[in-house]
Amino acid sequence: MITARGLSKTYRLGGAEVQAVRSVSLSIARGEHVALTGASGSGKSTLMHVLGCLDTPTRGEYWLNGAEVGRLSRDARAGVRNAHIGFVFQNFNLLPRLSALENVQLPLGYGRRLGGKAARAAAIAALERVGLADRMRHRPAELSGGQRQRVAIARALVTQPSLLLADEPTGSLDSATGRDILALLTELNAAGLTILLVTHDAAVAATAHRVLLMADGRLLE
Amino acid sequence: MTVLLSAWRGVTANKLRAALTALGIVIGVASVVTMLALGNGARAAVEGNFRALGSDDIEISPRYEFKNEKFAEAGKRLTYRDGLTLSDAAPDLLSVDMVVTGAAKVRRGRRTLDMTLTGTMADALTRFNTKPGVQPRNWPDDAPIDPASYLARGRFLTRAEVADGAAVCVLGHRTALQLFEGDDPLAQTVWVNRRKCLVIGVLAELETIDPADRARSRPNDALFLPIGLVVDQLYEDAPSVLMTARARSEAHMATARAQIAAHLRERHAIERDSAGNWKDDFTLTTRSDVLGARLAAARTFSVLLAAMAAVSLIVGGIGIMNVMLVSVTERTREIGVRMAVGARPRDIVMQFLAEAARFSIAGGAAGLALGVGVIPLAADFNGGAALLAPESVPLAFGVALLVGLIFGSYPAIRAARLDPIEALRYE
Repeated sequence: MITARGLSKTYRLGGAEVQAVRSVSLSIARGEHVALTGASGSGKSTLMHVLGCLDTPTRGEYWLNGAEVGRLSRDARAGVRNAHIGFVFQNFNLLPRLSALENVQLPLGYGRRLGGKAARAAAIAALERVGLADRMRHRPAELSGGQRQRVAIARALVTQPSLLLADEPTGSLDSATGRDILALLTELNAAGLTILLVTHDAAVAATAHRVLLMADGRLLE
Repeated sequence: MTVLLSAWRGVTANKLRAALTALGIVIGVASVVTMLALGNGARAAVEGNFRALGSDDIEISPRYEFKNEKFAEAGKRLTYRDGLTLSDAAPDLLSVDMVVTGAAKVRRGRRTLDMTLTGTMADALTRFNTKPGVQPRNWPDDAPIDPASYLARGRFLTRAEVADGAAVCVLGHRTALQLFEGDDPLAQTVWVNRRKCLVIGVLAELETIDPADRARSRPNDALFLPIGLVVDQLYEDAPSVLMTARARSEAHMATARAQIAAHLRERHAIERDSAGNWKDDFTLTTRSDVLGARLAAARTFSVLLAAMAAVSLIVGGIGIMNVMLVSVTERTREIGVRMAVGARPRDIVMQFLAEAARFSIAGGAAGLALGVGVIPLAADFNGGAALLAPESVPLAFGVALLVGLIFGSYPAIRAARLDPIEALRYE
């Protein structure tokens, strides 16, 4: 489902050119559960941004679901993110003034928009899937860390993406809650969702089928 | 819907700041509303006071000037003959209505009244609803008035009587009561300025159509005579005749006006002064002249308000821009999240524009309310002429919306240009 060939990302920091990703090639099949790991500064975040269509590679090709998406315009990349990719962040990134339900509905307001009732139904279904149907009227501040991350996962699932990108999803959680979240991800993967888990924590990476190790911008495997 | 909803949440987050920022919009829109009300009020006042003057009417009156510390007619008087010859001299006129008023001593037996008489044409009753603007007492509102319903008994003057200057008269309701004390006045005679006149009709009891005028006008103290009789036989020195000429159409106003002026200059032997301007002894007035004068008066005040509106709206706009820039900075993370889940730059632009628009429209609504409240005050400054213009409602919202969109676009574009990765990292 994901095929990358010779991906490189160079950016300027001050006067110096930094090569964050150097000629990375990889492929991830549908239904895989892959962990991308490495020390901080290894380039895994930059690679994740490129794979998440938040950024474009300086060189190389990136194929997602049979389409080259590495050279798309900003608008087109927004469309790809909306339709194919779900993001889960370390710090949840929920909008504080919106209820859990409204946060989950957020992606449905973009791209091929979903009307009021259908959007609500889809959001409720996504919240049920992460076990939070009884909390949908709560705002993020009224939820625990684990519950917030579940809302974020529901938001990532609501558009039925082909790829879930989780960037240190347990980084802000205590270990018990973190285990619950990882168990949820494993469960979602078992149901067919492709997951790319970005983490520096070997224990977290161990929950994946396959671990990709990065150092100095290169993929070591 | 979702865009508006999230915009609403964004705006209400800082109610006080929003209110303060919108103040410029509020004052600006209120100024616009008041400004329009002044122009509208002037127009309405003219239409009210000069209802008698139709859009294709030209009023011809003597010109007055100060002579030897007295306000007097500037040259020759306007005479009945001036008017009679006018119809032939001015082909673009449809008709010339003439009326003359003067002091009269009216006597019957031992009873004498000092009053004002009116010399009219035969069709005066058809214009009674506009000139002098009266109706039979307790006439239902807006019901058309048949000229015959102004008469209680007898008939009005005929064309032949007017043309011949026949010695006949029509009495007002109260005048008839005072002279005849309940006796039937028809076919009786009264003495008007030592001339014997036959009473041919008595008017119904009348009141002015405008209730505001009822206290000071006395439409039932009236005496109508053929205008030719009045100017030829009742006075040694006949008073000036007031004329209202009706042009063939509004399109003929300019030519009709020129024809009237040429005719009167010839009859009054008027010359040019050293600067080449005619030394006219008459004044021609049309509805647009009156309107122009009133509007010019309202304009002075309006210019002031326009300047205030412009400054306030710019200040308000800059305020909106400031609040929106702060909002964009405060919500950088939110923008990043929205972009991550699929918002395109234009979606972000729309979101922040909607927010700015909401903001300014709320200011516009408040400004409209303030403007409506201020109109009576403005009316005091402008001699009572200020009236909410119906178009100011959409205009108030339109102006507010425009200001919001113009000044909101820079912050919105800035928000849309954010890099999603940077925005997501923003603390």
